[in-house]
Amino acid sequence: MKLSQIIEECKLKKIVFCSDDEITNGYCGDLMSDVIAHAKTDSVWVTVQAHKNSIAVALIKEIRAIIFTNNVAISQELIDKAKEEDINLFSTENNSFQLCGLLYKLLEGSNHQD
Amino acid sequence: MTVLHSREKLTLANELIYELKVKDAMTREVIFFDKNATFREVQMALKENRISGVPILDEQKNIIGIVSIDNVITALDKGYVNEKVENYMAKEVITIPQNYSLVSAIKKFEKYQFGRLPVTDKVHSCKMVGILTMGDILNRLLVSIQTIAEKVEKDEDKNSQLSDELVRKVQQRPLRFEVKKADFDNAGRVASIIRNYLQKLNIDKKLLRRVAIVCYEAEMNISIHSLGGYISIEVEQNGITITAVDYGPGIPDIEEAMKPGFTTASEQIRALGFGAGMGLPNIKKCADRLELESSMETGTILKAVVYLS
Repeated sequence: MKLSQIIEECKLKKIVFCSDDEITNGYCGDLMSDVIAHAKTDSVWVTVQAHKNSIAVALIKEIRAIIFTNNVAISQELIDKAKEEDINLFSTENNSFQLCGLLYKLLEGSNHQD
Repeated sequence: MTVLHSREKLTLANELIYELKVKDAMTREVIFFDKNATFREVQMALKENRISGVPILDEQKNIIGIVSIDNVITALDKGYVNEKVENYMAKEVITIPQNYSLVSAIKKFEKYQFGRLPVTDKVHSCKMVGILTMGDILNRLLVSIQTIAEKVEKDEDKNSQLSDELVRKVQQRPLRFEVKKADFDNAGRVASIIRNYLQKLNIDKKLLRRVAIVCYEAEMNISIHSLGGYISIEVEQNGITITAVDYGPGIPDIEEAMKPGFTTASEQIRALGFGAGMGLPNIKKCADRLELESSMETGTILKAVVYLS
């Protein structure tokens, strides 16, 4: 599913939207090592960890977009780093549980049609 | 032994003739005539184009007959070579639909002993879209086999070894990066740089990710738990070695540190999502070889190797 469609359906706030990638998976986690170990490529990653290190994790795992939940504060430094590395950043008022529910319906639904 | 060998090859060809369709192999530009052509005209066309038969089509490109070199010879023999083909051509033409597999075409060739089969657009249709000979089938098989061979060759090149020249180039510039204590924001930097660097060497993506994960976790460990240190990368023909060295204070119990979930990280560090006790287990999972030495006096040395094949 295209990232743009996910943004629309989940009503995400665009922080950095650099490329409308095809998303096939999702992962939710706030422990870096857990995400490193288990997230799949071409994923969206749902987390509250809004710091520069998250970009490094996304790069290593080829995660296309990070969605910060609970409206956590996002620093300018983080935004600059995301732009530099071409990682999409979004934010939402929803908590991780609520957002993952929406995402699961969208992504799993579209996978079944394939 | 040679029998076995050729049988192995035939397995591949067998698979291919089931996979490939008539339309994949047929010739699409077909020389044809209408029913008013004479045997003489056909003879000239056969000679000029070095072919052994032509289909006869109506105005809608439906096949209504076929004239082979045998028919032409008979016409010469019997003296009607300047007459129209219409009255003498074979009118019951065996055709094959373009979506049939090559194996069904081969069966037809064997059964009827024809040199060529006109190809129709679909079953029960006479509309001709191409012509198929055994030569076409052989050509198509050779192309497929060559493509497969090239792919295998390329994969081997990519995964198993780096060229001598590349290794020399890389070794001229050893990669070594300082990692500072408690520098969490920049931690991950080494992993990114190394990832970008190895990408240029055309190393398989999955291997690259494993190397990056080892670097990331080693970097985080130095940053979180030590007084600082460095990471160095060595690229050799068969593998990539990541060495992470710190200046202390050392790991009291390595066995315990390797257990998933075991952590000595502070509450503050864990709030940032680090120190989950999964760093070393992650490294172990990604490395083909792992050596870990630690002294309470000099610090810790971690050496992880990821093989290219």
